[in-house]
Amino acid sequence: MAVLTIAAREFRATFNSTIGWLVLAAFLFLNGVFFLMWLTYFAEASAQFSGGAYGDVQLLLSEQLFAPFYGNVATILLFICPALSMRMFAEERSQRTLELLLTSPISTAEIVLGKFLGALGFVTVLLAGLLYGPLLLWWWSTPDIGALVTGNLALFLVAASTIAIGALFSSFTDNQITALVVTVSVCLALYIIGAVGDQDSIWGQISILSHIDDLFLGGIRLSDVSYFVGLIGVFLFATHQKVESYRWS
Amino acid sequence: MSMIEVQNLTRRFGALTAVDDLSFSVGQGDIVGFLGPNGAGKSTTMRMLTGSLGATSGSVTIAGHDIATDARAVQRIVGYLPETPPLYTDMTVRSYLRFCAKIKKAKSPNQAADNVIDRVDLGAVAGRLIGHLSKGFRQRVGVAQALVHEPRLLILDEPTSGLDPNQRVEIRALIADLAKGDVTVVLSTHILPEVEAVCGRVIILHQGKIVAQDTLAGLSGADQAVRVVVARPSDDVGSALSALPGVLQVKALDDGAYRVEANDDVREAVAACVVGFGLLEMGRDQAGLEDVFIKLTRSDRGA
Repeated sequence: MAVLTIAAREFRATFNSTIGWLVLAAFLFLNGVFFLMWLTYFAEASAQFSGGAYGDVQLLLSEQLFAPFYGNVATILLFICPALSMRMFAEERSQRTLELLLTSPISTAEIVLGKFLGALGFVTVLLAGLLYGPLLLWWWSTPDIGALVTGNLALFLVAASTIAIGALFSSFTDNQITALVVTVSVCLALYIIGAVGDQDSIWGQISILSHIDDLFLGGIRLSDVSYFVGLIGVFLFATHQKVESYRWS
Repeated sequence: MSMIEVQNLTRRFGALTAVDDLSFSVGQGDIVGFLGPNGAGKSTTMRMLTGSLGATSGSVTIAGHDIATDARAVQRIVGYLPETPPLYTDMTVRSYLRFCAKIKKAKSPNQAADNVIDRVDLGAVAGRLIGHLSKGFRQRVGVAQALVHEPRLLILDEPTSGLDPNQRVEIRALIADLAKGDVTVVLSTHILPEVEAVCGRVIILHQGKIVAQDTLAGLSGADQAVRVVVARPSDDVGSALSALPGVLQVKALDDGAYRVEANDDVREAVAACVVGFGLLEMGRDQAGLEDVFIKLTRSDRGA
Protein backbone atom coordinates (compact mmCIF):
# COMPACT_ATOMS: atom_id res chain seq x y z
CA MET A 1 0.00 0.00 0.00
CA ALA A 2 2.70 2.46 1.03
CA VAL A 3 4.66 1.35 -2.05
CA LEU A 4 1.83 2.48 -4.32
CA THR A 5 1.39 5.76 -2.41
CA ILE A 6 5.05 6.59 -2.86
CA ALA A 7 5.04 5.40 -6.48
CA ALA A 8 2.04 7.61 -7.26
CA ARG A 9 3.68 10.65 -5.69
CA GLU A 10 6.91 9.98 -7.57
CA PHE A 11 5.03 9.59 -10.85
CA ARG A 12 3.14 12.87 -10.36
CA ALA A 13 6.26 14.68 -9.22
CA THR A 14 7.91 13.77 -12.52
CA PHE A 15 4.99 15.28 -14.40
CA ASN A 16 5.21 18.36 -12.17
CA SER A 17 8.86 18.87 -13.05
CA THR A 18 10.35 20.64 -16.04
CA ILE A 19 12.77 17.80 -16.57
CA GLY A 20 9.87 15.34 -16.88
CA TRP A 21 8.30 17.22 -19.77
CA LEU A 22 11.68 17.89 -21.39
CA VAL A 23 12.45 14.19 -21.29
CA LEU A 24 9.03 13.34 -22.70
CA ALA A 25 9.38 15.83 -25.54
CA ALA A 26 12.97 14.91 -26.39
CA PHE A 27 12.23 11.21 -26.27
CA LEU A 28 9.19 11.35 -28.54
CA PHE A 29 10.78 13.78 -30.98
CA LEU A 30 14.11 11.95 -31.38
CA ASN A 31 12.49 8.57 -31.68
CA GLY A 32 9.90 9.91 -34.09
CA VAL A 33 12.74 11.08 -36.31
CA PHE A 34 14.51 7.73 -35.99
CA PHE A 35 11.34 5.83 -36.84
CA LEU A 36 10.79 7.92 -39.94
CA MET A 37 14.40 7.39 -40.96
CA TRP A 38 14.25 3.61 -40.66
CA LEU A 39 10.84 3.51 -42.33
CA THR A 40 12.16 5.44 -45.34
CA TYR A 41 15.18 3.19 -45.48
CA PHE A 42 12.96 0.12 -45.29
CA ALA A 43 10.69 1.35 -48.06
CA GLU A 44 13.62 2.07 -50.36
CA ALA A 45 15.29 -1.23 -49.61
CA SER A 46 12.04 -3.12 -50.24
CA ALA A 47 11.66 -1.43 -53.59
CA GLN A 48 15.23 -2.36 -54.57
CA PHE A 49 14.92 -5.98 -53.51
CA SER A 50 11.59 -6.74 -55.09
CA GLY A 51 11.90 -7.90 -58.64
CA GLY A 52 15.65 -7.22 -58.71
CA ALA A 53 18.55 -9.44 -59.67
CA TYR A 54 17.93 -11.67 -56.65
CA GLY A 55 14.30 -12.27 -57.48
CA ASP A 56 11.51 -11.30 -55.11
CA VAL A 57 13.07 -10.94 -51.67
CA GLN A 58 10.68 -10.14 -48.83
CA LEU A 59 12.28 -7.96 -46.19
CA LEU A 60 10.97 -8.58 -42.69
CA LEU A 61 9.66 -5.60 -40.78
CA SER A 62 10.87 -7.15 -37.55
CA GLU A 63 14.46 -7.51 -38.79
CA GLN A 64 14.90 -4.49 -41.00
CA LEU A 65 12.76 -1.94 -39.20
CA PHE A 66 11.89 -2.85 -35.61
CA ALA A 67 15.28 -4.21 -34.57
CA PRO A 68 17.40 -1.24 -35.70
CA PHE A 69 14.76 1.25 -34.56
CA TYR A 70 14.53 -0.28 -31.10
CA GLY A 71 18.33 -0.32 -31.00
CA ASN A 72 18.22 3.46 -31.35
CA VAL A 73 15.50 3.78 -28.74
CA ALA A 74 17.55 1.71 -26.31
CA THR A 75 20.53 4.05 -26.80
CA ILE A 76 18.36 7.08 -26.15
CA LEU A 77 16.94 5.42 -23.04
CA LEU A 78 20.47 5.19 -21.69
CA PHE A 79 20.65 8.97 -21.65
CA ILE A 80 17.07 9.75 -20.76
CA CYS A 81 16.40 7.36 -17.88
CA PRO A 82 19.27 8.77 -15.79
CA ALA A 83 17.66 12.20 -16.20
CA LEU A 84 14.52 10.73 -14.61
CA SER A 85 16.27 8.80 -11.86
CA MET A 86 18.69 11.57 -10.86
CA ARG A 87 16.16 13.38 -8.67
CA MET A 88 14.92 10.24 -6.93
CA PHE A 89 16.97 10.56 -3.74
CA ALA A 90 19.25 13.53 -4.48
CA GLU A 91 16.31 15.92 -4.45
CA GLU A 92 14.88 14.45 -1.25
CA ARG A 93 18.30 14.85 0.34
CA SER A 94 18.81 18.44 -0.75
CA GLN A 95 15.21 19.46 0.10
CA ARG A 96 15.38 17.56 3.41
CA THR A 97 12.16 15.73 2.67
CA LEU A 98 13.74 12.33 3.14
CA GLU A 99 13.30 12.80 6.88
CA LEU A 100 9.52 12.58 6.35
CA LEU A 101 9.86 9.17 4.73
CA LEU A 102 12.44 7.93 7.23
CA THR A 103 10.26 8.85 10.22
CA SER A 104 7.04 7.39 8.80
CA PRO A 105 6.00 3.86 9.75
CA ILE A 106 7.15 2.41 6.44
CA SER A 107 10.17 0.29 5.63
CA THR A 108 13.18 1.38 3.60
CA ALA A 109 12.30 -1.34 1.09
CA GLU A 110 8.89 0.27 0.55
CA ILE A 111 10.54 3.66 -0.03
CA VAL A 112 13.04 2.32 -2.59
CA LEU A 113 10.53 0.11 -4.38
CA GLY A 114 7.90 2.86 -4.46
CA LYS A 115 10.29 5.35 -5.99
CA PHE A 116 11.54 2.79 -8.51
CA LEU A 117 8.01 1.90 -9.60
CA GLY A 118 7.04 5.56 -9.87
CA ALA A 119 9.90 6.27 -12.27
CA LEU A 120 9.17 3.07 -14.15
CA GLY A 121 5.57 4.20 -14.55
CA PHE A 122 6.78 7.34 -16.27
CA VAL A 123 9.01 5.33 -18.60
CA THR A 124 6.03 3.12 -19.44
CA VAL A 125 4.22 6.25 -20.59
CA LEU A 126 7.22 7.14 -22.76
CA LEU A 127 7.35 3.69 -24.35
CA ALA A 128 3.58 3.63 -24.86
CA GLY A 129 3.99 6.95 -26.66
CA LEU A 130 6.21 5.22 -29.22
CA LEU A 131 3.77 2.46 -30.08
CA TYR A 132 1.85 4.53 -32.62
CA GLY A 133 4.62 4.07 -35.22
CA PRO A 134 4.72 0.28 -35.35
CA LEU A 135 0.94 0.04 -34.90
CA LEU A 136 0.34 2.28 -37.91
CA LEU A 137 2.14 -0.28 -40.05
CA TRP A 138 -0.80 -2.63 -39.66
CA TRP A 139 -2.57 -0.42 -42.16
CA TRP A 140 -0.33 -1.73 -44.93
CA SER A 141 1.19 -4.91 -43.64
CA THR A 142 1.14 -7.55 -40.91
CA PRO A 143 4.24 -7.10 -38.79
CA ASP A 144 5.39 -9.89 -36.49
CA ILE A 145 3.49 -9.17 -33.27
CA GLY A 146 5.89 -11.35 -31.29
CA ALA A 147 8.88 -9.21 -32.22
CA LEU A 148 6.93 -6.11 -31.30
CA VAL A 149 6.16 -7.52 -27.85
CA THR A 150 9.67 -8.79 -27.11
CA GLY A 151 11.20 -5.61 -28.51
CA ASN A 152 9.15 -3.50 -26.13
CA LEU A 153 9.95 -5.91 -23.32
CA ALA A 154 13.65 -5.38 -24.06
CA LEU A 155 13.22 -1.60 -23.98
CA PHE A 156 11.30 -1.86 -20.74
CA LEU A 157 14.03 -3.99 -19.17
CA VAL A 158 16.78 -1.63 -20.35
CA ALA A 159 14.86 1.31 -18.90
CA ALA A 160 14.21 -0.49 -15.60
CA SER A 161 17.89 -1.45 -15.26
CA THR A 162 19.04 2.07 -16.02
CA ILE A 163 16.63 3.50 -13.45
CA ALA A 164 17.79 0.99 -10.83
CA ILE A 165 21.40 2.01 -11.51
CA GLY A 166 20.37 5.67 -11.40
CA ALA A 167 18.56 5.15 -8.09
CA LEU A 168 21.78 3.96 -6.48
CA PHE A 169 23.87 6.91 -7.63
CA SER A 170 21.08 9.32 -6.76
CA SER A 171 21.15 7.98 -3.22
CA PHE A 172 24.83 8.86 -2.89
CA THR A 173 24.60 12.59 -3.47
CA ASP A 174 22.60 15.78 -2.87
CA ASN A 175 23.50 16.92 -6.36
CA GLN A 176 21.29 15.74 -9.20
CA ILE A 177 23.85 16.58 -11.89
CA THR A 178 26.45 14.40 -10.20
CA ALA A 179 23.94 11.56 -10.11
CA LEU A 180 23.13 12.09 -13.79
CA VAL A 181 26.74 12.13 -15.01
CA VAL A 182 27.82 9.11 -13.01
CA THR A 183 24.73 7.09 -14.02
CA VAL A 184 25.13 7.88 -17.73
CA SER A 185 28.81 6.94 -17.55
CA VAL A 186 28.16 3.64 -15.82
CA CYS A 187 25.28 2.73 -18.13
CA LEU A 188 27.27 3.62 -21.21
CA ALA A 189 30.17 1.52 -19.97
CA LEU A 190 27.79 -1.37 -19.30
CA TYR A 191 26.37 -0.95 -22.79
CA ILE A 192 29.60 -0.95 -24.78
CA ILE A 193 31.78 -3.16 -22.61
CA GLY A 194 30.77 -6.11 -24.78
CA ALA A 195 33.05 -4.74 -27.49
CA VAL A 196 36.07 -5.80 -25.40
CA GLY A 197 35.49 -9.48 -26.10
CA ASP A 198 33.06 -11.61 -28.07
CA GLN A 199 29.55 -12.35 -26.90
CA ASP A 200 30.43 -15.46 -24.90
CA SER A 201 33.29 -13.83 -23.02
CA ILE A 202 32.82 -12.39 -19.58
CA TRP A 203 32.64 -8.89 -21.09
CA GLY A 204 29.92 -9.98 -23.47
CA GLN A 205 27.98 -11.55 -20.63
CA ILE A 206 27.87 -8.43 -18.50
CA SER A 207 27.09 -6.10 -21.40
CA ILE A 208 23.52 -4.87 -21.85
CA LEU A 209 23.95 -4.87 -25.63
CA SER A 210 24.46 -8.62 -25.98
CA HIS A 211 21.27 -9.34 -24.05
CA ILE A 212 18.89 -7.26 -26.15
CA ASP A 213 19.67 -8.33 -29.72
CA ASP A 214 17.68 -11.54 -29.60
CA LEU A 215 14.77 -9.87 -27.88
CA PHE A 216 14.62 -7.29 -30.67
CA LEU A 217 14.31 -10.10 -33.20
CA GLY A 218 11.50 -11.82 -31.31
CA GLY A 219 13.56 -14.42 -29.45
CA ILE A 220 12.98 -14.55 -25.73
CA ARG A 221 15.50 -16.39 -23.59
CA LEU A 222 15.46 -16.99 -19.88
CA SER A 223 19.15 -16.05 -19.62
CA ASP A 224 18.54 -12.61 -21.15
CA VAL A 225 15.53 -11.82 -18.98
CA SER A 226 17.21 -13.08 -15.83
CA TYR A 227 20.26 -10.92 -16.65
CA PHE A 228 18.09 -7.81 -16.46
CA VAL A 229 16.12 -8.98 -13.45
CA GLY A 230 19.41 -9.71 -11.70
CA LEU A 231 20.84 -6.32 -12.65
CA ILE A 232 17.75 -4.54 -11.32
CA GLY A 233 17.77 -6.64 -8.15
CA VAL A 234 21.44 -5.97 -7.39
CA PHE A 235 21.16 -2.21 -7.83
CA LEU A 236 17.89 -1.89 -5.93
CA PHE A 237 19.36 -3.90 -3.09
CA ALA A 238 22.45 -1.67 -3.03
CA THR A 239 20.17 1.40 -3.04
CA HIS A 240 18.23 -0.08 -0.13
CA GLN A 241 21.44 -0.55 1.83
CA LYS A 242 22.54 3.00 1.10
CA VAL A 243 19.20 4.54 2.13
CA GLU A 244 19.16 2.39 5.26
CA SER A 245 22.63 3.72 6.07
CA TYR A 246 21.25 7.29 6.27
CA ARG A 247 19.91 6.27 9.64
CA TRP A 248 23.45 5.58 10.78
CA SER A 249 25.41 8.49 9.36
CA MET B 1 3.24 5.58 32.66
CA SER B 2 6.13 7.32 31.03
CA MET B 3 5.91 8.12 27.34
CA ILE B 4 9.62 8.43 26.67
CA GLU B 5 12.31 6.50 28.46
CA VAL B 6 15.86 7.33 27.38
CA GLN B 7 18.81 5.52 28.90
CA ASN B 8 22.50 6.27 28.41
CA LEU B 9 21.85 7.52 24.90
CA THR B 10 25.03 8.36 23.02
CA ARG B 11 25.61 9.40 19.44
CA ARG B 12 28.99 9.97 17.84
CA PHE B 13 29.72 11.42 14.42
CA GLY B 14 33.29 10.32 13.85
CA ALA B 15 35.37 11.94 16.58
CA LEU B 16 32.57 14.29 17.60
CA THR B 17 30.27 13.18 20.39
CA ALA B 18 27.03 15.01 19.64
CA VAL B 19 25.00 13.35 22.36
CA ASP B 20 26.80 12.05 25.39
CA ASP B 21 25.24 9.52 27.77
CA LEU B 22 21.80 11.09 28.04
CA SER B 23 19.19 9.66 30.40
CA PHE B 24 15.76 11.14 31.00
CA SER B 25 12.11 10.27 30.96
CA VAL B 26 8.99 12.13 29.92
CA GLY B 27 5.59 11.34 31.34
CA GLN B 28 2.38 11.04 29.35
CA GLY B 29 0.80 14.43 28.71
CA ASP B 30 3.90 16.41 29.68
CA ILE B 31 5.22 19.33 27.70
CA VAL B 32 8.99 19.27 27.87
CA GLY B 33 11.33 21.86 26.42
CA PHE B 34 14.81 21.05 25.16
CA LEU B 35 16.91 24.10 25.70
CA GLY B 36 20.48 24.66 24.70
CA PRO B 37 22.79 26.69 22.50
CA ASN B 38 23.24 25.72 18.85
CA GLY B 39 25.14 22.46 18.56
CA ALA B 40 24.14 21.27 22.02
CA GLY B 41 22.68 18.04 20.61
CA LYS B 42 18.98 18.95 20.67
CA SER B 43 18.25 18.02 17.07
CA THR B 44 20.39 14.90 17.20
CA THR B 45 18.50 13.71 20.28
CA MET B 46 15.16 14.40 18.62
CA ARG B 47 16.16 12.53 15.48
CA MET B 48 17.05 9.54 17.63
CA LEU B 49 13.64 9.71 19.31
CA THR B 50 11.93 9.47 15.92
CA GLY B 51 13.96 6.70 14.36
CA SER B 52 15.50 8.79 11.60
CA LEU B 53 18.91 8.39 13.23
CA GLY B 54 20.30 5.38 15.03
CA ALA B 55 22.04 5.61 18.38
CA THR B 56 25.70 4.73 18.86
CA SER B 57 24.75 3.23 22.20
CA GLY B 58 21.99 3.42 24.76
CA SER B 59 18.29 2.87 24.38
CA VAL B 60 15.13 4.79 23.55
CA THR B 61 11.77 3.36 24.57
CA ILE B 62 8.60 5.13 23.50
CA ALA B 63 5.23 4.01 24.89
CA GLY B 64 6.85 0.70 25.71
CA HIS B 65 8.32 0.10 22.24
CA ASP B 66 12.10 -0.07 21.83
CA ILE B 67 12.95 2.10 18.85
CA ALA B 68 15.89 -0.08 17.82
CA THR B 69 13.76 -3.18 17.38
CA ASP B 70 10.26 -1.83 16.85
CA ALA B 71 10.69 1.48 15.01
CA ARG B 72 7.50 1.11 12.94
CA ALA B 73 5.32 0.85 16.06
CA VAL B 74 6.99 3.95 17.49
CA GLN B 75 6.60 5.91 14.26
CA ARG B 76 2.87 5.24 14.16
CA ILE B 77 2.37 7.18 17.39
CA VAL B 78 5.02 9.88 16.91
CA GLY B 79 4.55 13.10 14.96
CA TYR B 80 7.78 14.87 14.07
CA LEU B 81 8.56 18.32 12.77
CA PRO B 82 12.25 18.52 11.82
CA GLU B 83 14.19 21.77 11.92
CA THR B 84 13.56 22.21 8.20
CA PRO B 85 9.94 21.22 7.48
CA PRO B 86 10.00 18.30 5.03
CA LEU B 87 7.77 19.80 2.34
CA TYR B 88 7.37 18.76 -1.29
CA THR B 89 7.16 22.19 -2.88
CA ASP B 90 5.58 20.88 -6.09
CA MET B 91 2.47 19.62 -4.27
CA THR B 92 -0.59 21.46 -3.05
CA VAL B 93 -1.13 21.64 0.70
CA ARG B 94 -4.06 19.24 0.54
CA SER B 95 -2.43 16.61 -1.66
CA TYR B 96 0.73 16.79 0.44
CA LEU B 97 -1.17 16.23 3.67
CA ARG B 98 -3.10 13.37 2.10
CA PHE B 99 0.18 11.80 1.08
CA CYS B 100 1.52 12.22 4.63
CA ALA B 101 -1.65 10.73 6.12
CA LYS B 102 -1.28 7.68 3.89
CA ILE B 103 2.36 6.94 4.59
CA LYS B 104 1.84 7.57 8.30
CA LYS B 105 -0.98 5.03 8.24
CA ALA B 106 -3.81 7.31 9.39
CA LYS B 107 -7.12 5.46 9.57
CA SER B 108 -8.99 7.34 6.86
CA PRO B 109 -6.23 9.39 5.20
CA ASN B 110 -8.28 11.91 3.21
CA GLN B 111 -10.50 12.67 6.17
CA ALA B 112 -7.45 12.99 8.43
CA ALA B 113 -5.91 15.49 6.01
CA ASP B 114 -9.08 17.58 5.91
CA ASN B 115 -9.31 17.52 9.71
CA VAL B 116 -5.77 18.74 10.20
CA ILE B 117 -6.29 21.49 7.60
CA ASP B 118 -9.12 22.81 9.80
CA ARG B 119 -7.20 22.36 12.99
CA VAL B 120 -4.10 24.25 11.86
CA ASP B 121 -6.24 26.73 9.96
CA LEU B 122 -4.86 26.08 6.48
CA GLY B 123 -8.22 26.12 4.70
CA ALA B 124 -7.42 29.33 2.84
CA VAL B 125 -4.30 27.87 1.22
CA ALA B 126 -5.30 24.19 0.96
CA GLY B 127 -5.37 24.29 -2.83
CA ARG B 128 -2.15 26.23 -3.30
CA LEU B 129 1.30 24.88 -4.13
CA ILE B 130 3.51 24.66 -1.06
CA GLY B 131 6.33 26.29 -3.02
CA HIS B 132 4.24 29.45 -3.34
CA LEU B 133 3.50 29.80 0.39
CA SER B 134 5.10 32.22 2.84
CA LYS B 135 7.45 30.95 5.50
CA GLY B 136 4.77 31.15 8.20
CA PHE B 137 2.35 29.02 6.22
CA ARG B 138 5.06 26.53 5.35
CA GLN B 139 5.88 26.12 9.02
CA ARG B 140 2.19 25.52 9.68
CA VAL B 141 2.03 22.91 6.96
CA GLY B 142 5.03 21.33 8.69
CA VAL B 143 3.14 21.26 11.97
CA ALA B 144 0.06 19.87 10.19
CA GLN B 145 2.19 17.11 8.72
CA ALA B 146 3.33 16.13 12.22
CA LEU B 147 -0.26 16.08 13.48
CA VAL B 148 -2.04 14.40 10.60
CA HIS B 149 -2.09 10.86 12.00
CA GLU B 150 -3.13 12.04 15.48
CA PRO B 151 0.09 11.08 17.25
CA ARG B 152 0.28 10.56 20.99
CA LEU B 153 3.76 12.05 21.08
CA LEU B 154 4.74 15.17 19.22
CA ILE B 155 8.38 16.04 18.66
CA LEU B 156 8.89 19.57 17.39
CA ASP B 157 12.34 20.85 16.50
CA GLU B 158 12.22 24.64 16.80
CA PRO B 159 8.55 24.90 15.83
CA THR B 160 8.49 28.71 15.89
CA SER B 161 11.80 29.54 14.22
CA GLY B 162 11.46 32.14 11.51
CA LEU B 163 7.91 33.08 12.48
CA ASP B 164 6.69 36.54 13.35
CA PRO B 165 5.40 37.20 16.89
CA ASN B 166 1.74 36.68 15.98
CA GLN B 167 2.45 33.36 14.33
CA ARG B 168 4.52 32.31 17.33
CA VAL B 169 1.62 32.96 19.64
CA GLU B 170 -0.64 30.87 17.38
CA ILE B 171 1.73 27.92 17.35
CA ARG B 172 2.14 28.09 21.12
CA ALA B 173 -1.62 28.17 21.59
CA LEU B 174 -1.88 25.13 19.35
CA ILE B 175 0.72 23.26 21.38
CA ALA B 176 -0.99 24.14 24.65
CA ASP B 177 -4.27 22.99 23.13
CA LEU B 178 -2.77 19.65 22.12
CA ALA B 179 -1.40 19.06 25.59
CA LYS B 180 -4.90 19.39 27.00
CA GLY B 181 -5.87 16.45 24.82
CA ASP B 182 -3.26 14.30 26.54
CA VAL B 183 -0.69 14.55 23.76
CA THR B 184 2.87 14.49 25.04
CA VAL B 185 5.01 17.23 23.50
CA VAL B 186 8.78 17.55 23.32
CA LEU B 187 9.97 20.74 21.71
CA SER B 188 13.31 22.37 21.27
CA THR B 189 13.96 26.06 21.15
CA HIS B 190 16.44 28.69 22.11
CA ILE B 191 13.76 31.28 22.72
CA LEU B 192 13.49 31.38 26.51
CA PRO B 193 10.09 33.11 26.82
CA GLU B 194 8.68 30.34 24.66
CA VAL B 195 9.75 27.72 27.17
CA GLU B 196 8.24 29.75 29.94
CA ALA B 197 5.01 30.10 28.00
CA VAL B 198 4.38 26.46 27.16
CA CYS B 199 6.68 24.00 28.89
CA GLY B 200 6.06 22.37 32.23
CA ARG B 201 9.55 21.00 32.43
CA VAL B 202 12.88 21.94 30.88
CA ILE B 203 15.90 19.88 29.92
CA ILE B 204 18.96 22.02 29.34
CA LEU B 205 21.56 20.48 27.07
CA HIS B 206 25.11 21.61 26.62
CA GLN B 207 27.79 19.88 24.57
CA GLY B 208 25.67 16.76 24.34
CA LYS B 209 25.07 16.42 28.05
CA ILE B 210 22.14 17.25 30.30
CA VAL B 211 23.27 20.10 32.55
CA ALA B 212 19.93 20.63 34.23
CA GLN B 213 16.44 19.18 34.15
CA ASP B 214 13.70 20.51 36.32
CA THR B 215 10.44 22.40 36.38
CA LEU B 216 10.73 26.07 35.45
CA ALA B 217 10.30 27.19 39.03
CA GLY B 218 12.85 24.68 40.19
CA LEU B 219 15.38 25.96 37.69
CA SER B 220 14.86 29.57 38.66
CA GLY B 221 16.12 28.67 42.11
CA ALA B 222 12.83 29.30 43.89
CA ASP B 223 9.16 28.63 43.37
CA GLN B 224 8.37 32.28 43.24
CA ALA B 225 10.51 35.28 42.44
CA VAL B 226 9.40 38.90 42.52
CA ARG B 227 11.17 41.89 41.10
CA VAL B 228 10.55 45.29 42.67
CA VAL B 229 11.96 48.69 41.81
CA VAL B 230 11.91 51.43 44.48
CA ALA B 231 12.65 55.16 44.25
CA ARG B 232 14.92 55.27 47.30
CA PRO B 233 17.03 52.12 47.51
CA SER B 234 18.98 51.52 50.67
CA ASP B 235 20.20 48.68 52.88
CA ASP B 236 16.99 49.05 54.87
CA VAL B 237 14.97 47.88 51.88
CA GLY B 238 17.00 44.71 51.67
CA SER B 239 16.72 43.90 55.33
CA ALA B 240 13.01 44.70 55.45
CA LEU B 241 12.35 42.37 52.52
CA SER B 242 14.51 39.60 53.99
CA ALA B 243 12.48 39.74 57.19
CA LEU B 244 9.22 38.95 55.40
CA PRO B 245 7.82 35.46 56.09
CA GLY B 246 8.49 32.97 53.29
CA VAL B 247 11.29 34.96 51.69
CA LEU B 248 14.40 32.91 50.99
CA GLN B 249 16.79 35.42 49.53
CA VAL B 250 16.91 39.03 48.44
CA LYS B 251 19.32 40.32 45.82
CA ALA B 252 19.95 43.98 45.22
CA LEU B 253 20.21 44.70 41.50
CA ASP B 254 21.04 47.96 39.67
CA ASP B 255 18.91 51.11 39.69
CA GLY B 256 16.93 50.40 42.81
CA ALA B 257 15.74 46.97 41.69
CA TYR B 258 15.52 43.99 44.01
CA ARG B 259 14.92 40.32 43.30
CA VAL B 260 12.99 38.54 46.02
CA GLU B 261 13.01 34.74 45.99
CA ALA B 262 10.38 32.99 48.05
CA ASN B 263 8.55 29.73 48.59
CA ASP B 264 5.14 31.03 47.73
CA ASP B 265 3.40 34.09 46.39
CA VAL B 266 4.70 36.99 48.49
CA ARG B 267 3.73 39.83 46.18
CA GLU B 268 1.19 41.32 48.55
CA ALA B 269 3.61 41.33 51.49
CA VAL B 270 6.40 42.74 49.34
CA ALA B 271 4.20 45.54 48.09
CA ALA B 272 3.14 46.49 51.60
CA CYS B 273 6.75 46.37 52.78
CA VAL B 274 8.36 48.58 50.13
CA VAL B 275 5.59 51.12 49.66
CA GLY B 276 7.34 53.47 52.07
CA PHE B 277 10.50 53.46 49.94
CA GLY B 278 8.65 54.71 46.87
CA LEU B 279 7.41 51.66 44.94
CA LEU B 280 7.86 52.23 41.20
CA GLU B 281 7.48 48.80 39.60
CA MET B 282 6.73 45.30 40.63
CA GLY B 283 6.20 41.97 38.93
CA ARG B 284 7.16 38.32 38.74
CA ASP B 285 10.82 37.96 37.86
CA GLN B 286 11.32 36.53 34.36
CA ALA B 287 15.08 36.86 34.33
CA GLY B 288 15.62 33.69 36.32
CA LEU B 289 15.68 31.16 33.51
CA GLU B 290 17.90 33.33 31.38
CA ASP B 291 20.46 33.58 34.17
CA VAL B 292 20.40 29.85 34.72
CA PHE B 293 20.69 29.19 31.01
CA ILE B 294 23.67 31.48 30.55
CA LYS B 295 25.42 30.17 33.63
CA LEU B 296 25.00 26.55 32.58
CA THR B 297 25.83 26.86 28.91
CA ARG B 298 28.65 29.35 28.71
CA SER B 299 31.17 27.79 26.35
CA ASP B 300 34.08 28.51 28.71
CA ARG B 301 32.36 26.54 31.42
CA GLY B 302 34.78 24.05 32.94
CA ALA B 303 37.48 24.90 30.41
